[in-house]
Amino acid sequence: MGRLRRSRTHRAQRDVHRASRTRARTKDLDQIQLIDLDPKNRAKLEAQELDYEKPGLAQHYCVECAKYYETDSALQSHWKSKVHKRRCKALKEPAYTIEESELAAGLGRDDRRAVATTPDTAMSQ
Amino acid sequence: MRIEKCYFCSKSVYPGHGTAFVRNDAKVFRFCTSKCHKNFKMKRNPRKVRWTKAFRRAAGKEMVIDSTIDFEKRRNVPVRYDRDLMRSTLQAMKRIAEVKKRRENAFWKNRMATSREKLKTHQRKLTTKRQSPVRLLEPMPGPAPSEKVKIKIKATEKPKSALVAGEGRSMGMEIDHD
Repeated sequence: MGRLRRSRTHRAQRDVHRASRTRARTKDLDQIQLIDLDPKNRAKLEAQELDYEKPGLAQHYCVECAKYYETDSALQSHWKSKVHKRRCKALKEPAYTIEESELAAGLGRDDRRAVATTPDTAMSQ
Repeated sequence: MRIEKCYFCSKSVYPGHGTAFVRNDAKVFRFCTSKCHKNFKMKRNPRKVRWTKAFRRAAGKEMVIDSTIDFEKRRNVPVRYDRDLMRSTLQAMKRIAEVKKRRENAFWKNRMATSREKLKTHQRKLTTKRQSPVRLLEPMPGPAPSEKVKIKIKATEKPKSALVAGEGRSMGMEIDHD
């Protein structure tokens, strides 16, 4: 018999698809920019307790890229890398948020609290 | 009933449509279509994707500063139903939409006028670039055209068929049937 399957259908994208699942979602830029980069949170993230589940026992963490490294030398070389520099550049501009998506649609926000009306004023209206 | 906005393209998401993703910090991301959801999963920045509203806003293609835009707002204050208020609001909505449409049209016209100018200067630059300073005095002599001669070749072999067993696919020797 000849070949029944079409050729060139294999694209080796399995791991790409798996990484893009929402269950395996990594930290977003707005989370890093608004929460992690705050000096207090940053210090906490950089001095984590020993965690046997994390790579390198969670001792070598890059806050900008939200990534654990095995050794200190690996972290040092990562800081010099293009990936890290690109990430730092992306973090410099304000991150895209849900509020911005609503603003783009022409939907603003009015966060004023409800004015407490006493029963007397409500009755007089 | 609330009409949500798509996180990626800022389109309206009506009840019963689209998908929502709740991040582990309890933020709700709504998507109008799987296209928008996929783009979100790829971690693309909507500000850099040309077909989104966020891009158009960031790139100055839409009217951003205007008093007609400021009316539509998410207000988390409940208002007691009032027939007169309802009527006046509906009338105002119609009128505001009218004004907004007119202003948007004027904005678009203005934008197109400037872009047309830009395009013209760009084209002028291109035409000046195209006129190269080197000119050939005489056309280069090419190779002499040779006469084509047709040769007839008789087809002797039978076309092979994959349907017949052993035709060109077996390990055996090929035998001419002529």
